[in-house]
Amino acid sequence: MAILCWGHGGAGPRKALSPRTEKMDVDLDWPSVYPVAAPFKPSAAPMPVLMGYPVKKGVPMAKEGNRKLLKIPNFLHLTPLGIKRHREALDDFCPEWTAARDCDEECEKHFPTEIDAADSASSGPSIRNPKARVVTLRVKLSSLNLDSHGKKKRIKLAGERFRKTADVLTVTRDRCPVKRHNYDYVLYLLTVLYHEAWKTEEWGENGTEEDMEECVWENSSSEKNVLQTLLQRRAADSSVAPSREVEDYQKCVVRVKNEGENEEILTQYKESVKSLLNLE
Amino acid sequence: MAARAACAAVCRRLGQELGSLSVNGSKSSTAQAGGLLLSSVKRAPSSSLHIDVPKDLIKPTITTSDEPDTLYKRLSILVKAHDKAVLDSYEYFAVLAAKELGISIDVHEPPRKMERLTLLKSVHIFKKHRVQYEMRTLYRRFELKHLTGCTANVYLEYIQRNLPEGVAMEVTKTQIQQLPEHIKEPMWEALTKEEDSKS
Repeated sequence: MAILCWGHGGAGPRKALSPRTEKMDVDLDWPSVYPVAAPFKPSAAPMPVLMGYPVKKGVPMAKEGNRKLLKIPNFLHLTPLGIKRHREALDDFCPEWTAARDCDEECEKHFPTEIDAADSASSGPSIRNPKARVVTLRVKLSSLNLDSHGKKKRIKLAGERFRKTADVLTVTRDRCPVKRHNYDYVLYLLTVLYHEAWKTEEWGENGTEEDMEECVWENSSSEKNVLQTLLQRRAADSSVAPSREVEDYQKCVVRVKNEGENEEILTQYKESVKSLLNLE
Repeated sequence: MAARAACAAVCRRLGQELGSLSVNGSKSSTAQAGGLLLSSVKRAPSSSLHIDVPKDLIKPTITTSDEPDTLYKRLSILVKAHDKAVLDSYEYFAVLAAKELGISIDVHEPPRKMERLTLLKSVHIFKKHRVQYEMRTLYRRFELKHLTGCTANVYLEYIQRNLPEGVAMEVTKTQIQQLPEHIKEPMWEALTKEEDSKS
């Protein structure tokens, strides 16, 4: 029975080579020692590293044969010098952002639409990421070419998706299976809303006061009520209706209806009513 | 007996040739030495030997196209891990890389989330004795502003290739675009003009 042994040809037990750390200079090129991500090699890392909670009455474990140092990811390949070298190689592929558009307002003026999309990199039992499908579009209404009727109609059509304070229309779509489909749908929706806003129906002009979004003073019931009350009162006194108090009252009523009820606004309304009807 | 001696002789010859190979350090000697046995034996990498990267490495060619590049107003990168030290090191790396490439970067640390489980300690009965586990997820968010599409792709690829083990990343890109061509003017006018011209 032949026993095959590969190796040094019978010269005796091999001597252990001295670790590389002993041959390293102080000013050596570190990225050549760790050019890529590699497990921690105690013979190739010259610094003393202690890791691990020591046993009772013991000292912390040295780096040789230390399992904890192998478990944790090390960043020895990403020293500042290494990153600078990578940057030198990558610089040619990175075009600069044109400096004229550094602030957000200029960006909005030239590029009004914003599109949000998500990607991810992770390891786990599943490769699926449900957030990758979602696409969100944000547009400012003021940047679209619409007249006043169109704007109001657009706001009504959009419904919940429009936020009045920021004047931003947000459309989110995730029902299609692929990101590209969602993106196309979002652009399609924007086009449809825009074109529908330009259309006027025959019954659109027969709107009553309740349909209006903003309170308009002319031809409103509030105006008629005020003038009637004043006429009745003045008929008893037979003097001219003062116009300044009516104007104040008009402003307060419009504010209450448009901006909602606030302490400040309600006190102003109270003052204007008192002055109008000459109450104390 | 004779077979054993022959094997020993083969071993010695192999050893000598292997030794000569390690001294030369070039692959051409493998072909010269020849022999079926040598080609099947793999040379173990020795730590004392360092093979240099060839100096005449051809750089990948840069191609430019006429299409306008996509523009990103904001790139939001959320990094999740179980270990704070790893996240700190990764943050240092990402920030340095961004500064080297000339990208403005902002870092903050969202609060960690802990998922706790309380399970029975024993396989059967002993309801009063339980054991509790927790899973800590620590976060770091990098916000980059004003990037071109090429720069974003390069930076993200660099960051993701050097993502350490046990760390996950989610990227949210905000792209800015001009209004599509067909929204600048409503098409009803064009349609009515066509109808008029037809009739």
